[in-house]
Amino acid sequence: MAPEDGPKIILESMKEAGINFVTSLPDFNLAKLIELVDGDPEIKHVALCREEEGIGLCTGAYMGGKTTAIIMQNGGFLNSCNGLTTTALNFNIPMLLMIYYAGDIGDEGFSTLGSVTEPVLSGLGIRYYVLRKMDEIKNTIKGATLLATDSRRPVAVLLTKNVLGTRR
Amino acid sequence: MKRVDCLKAIAEETGDALAICTVGGAAAEWNAIRPGDGNFRCRTLGLVSSIATGLALALPNRRIVAIDGDGALLMNACGLPTLARQSPANLIYLLFDNGIYEASGLRSTATKAGADLIAMAKGAGVKNACWASSVEDFMEELKSSVTRKAFSMIAAKTERGIEYLKSWRRLPSFQHGEVENGFRFMRYIEKTEEIRVVPLPGPRN
Repeated sequence: MAPEDGPKIILESMKEAGINFVTSLPDFNLAKLIELVDGDPEIKHVALCREEEGIGLCTGAYMGGKTTAIIMQNGGFLNSCNGLTTTALNFNIPMLLMIYYAGDIGDEGFSTLGSVTEPVLSGLGIRYYVLRKMDEIKNTIKGATLLATDSRRPVAVLLTKNVLGTRR
Repeated sequence: MKRVDCLKAIAEETGDALAICTVGGAAAEWNAIRPGDGNFRCRTLGLVSSIATGLALALPNRRIVAIDGDGALLMNACGLPTLARQSPANLIYLLFDNGIYEASGLRSTATKAGADLIAMAKGAGVKNACWASSVEDFMEELKSSVTRKAFSMIAAKTERGIEYLKSWRRLPSFQHGEVENGFRFMRYIEKTEEIRVVPLPGPRN
C-alpha cells in the first residue's frame, strides 16, 4: 500500500461506509481526494465557498435520507464551529468530518492551527481519530461513520500527509 | 409590506412544501399561519439557505421553501454562489428584508446602509432573483416560481420596528422545543417520503 494510493483508499472506504453526499473545500493536500470524489457518479458532491455552509448542506441532505461527509482543512473546521454546535450537535445530526490536519507533527507552517485543532474538537465534544497509517484507513473511516450514525453526532477523522500521499 | 401577508401567500401557493425557516419573528409568524411538523426552525443564523439546499438536493421531487431574513443571509452571503451553482429546481428561496436584526437587538443590518441582496444574488449567479414591490407582486412572483420549475429567489422589503416585534411575541408559542421540532421534522419526511432518515437501532453487544 503506497501513500499515493491513500486518496483512492479513502474514497473506497467512504463509499463502503455508505457515504453518498459530500461537501468540500480544498486544501492542497486534499486536492486528489476531492478530485476523486467529484468524479464519482455514486456521490453527490457540492463544492463550498466557506466550510460552515457545508454543515448546513450535510444537515439538509441527512434529513433527506443521505449519509454525509465534509472534506476540509482544520482552518475550515474552525470556520464551522457555530454550525457544528447550533445545528449538527443541537439537532443530533450525524456527519463525517474529514479534516486535513495542517500543522501536524513533521509539518512546516500552520503550527498554531495544528495546536488548537484537537483541543477545539474536544471542547465541542466531537470524537476524533487521527489517521497516520495506511493500513488503518478503512477501519477508521468505516468505524467513524458507524459511530456518527449510532451516536447521532458528527465524528471527525484527522487526515495527515502520511495517508494523503503528500508527505515529502 | 407586512411579512405576515407574504407568509400567508406562501402557505396558499406552496401547500405541503417542506419549510426551512430562519430564527426569530418569521418562524413565529410562519408557525401561526402553517403549523405542523413540515416546518424546521433553523437555529444557526445564516444556515437556512444551506440546509434547504441540502434537503432539496436529497429530495429532488419534493417542493422545499426557505424562509430567510437579511441578517441571516448577510451572515452566510458566501452561500449565494453555492446556491447559484447548485440551483435546485425544487427550491424556492424567500427573503424578507426588514433592515434590522429583529430578534437580536433591533440594530440595523447592512441592507439599511444600501446593501442590495438581490443584486448580490444576481452577481453570485442566481438567474431568477427579484424584488417584489407589493404583496400582490410577491404572490405573482411566487406563482411564477412554482410553475417555472427552476430555482427562484424572491425578496421583499418588509416592515420593522418595536411595535411589530411585540406583536409577533404575542403569537401562539411553538408546540415543541427546538430539538423535538428537528426530530418531528425528520419523522414527517420519513412518513411522507417513505424513506428512513434516523436509522433503527443496530444489534447491541
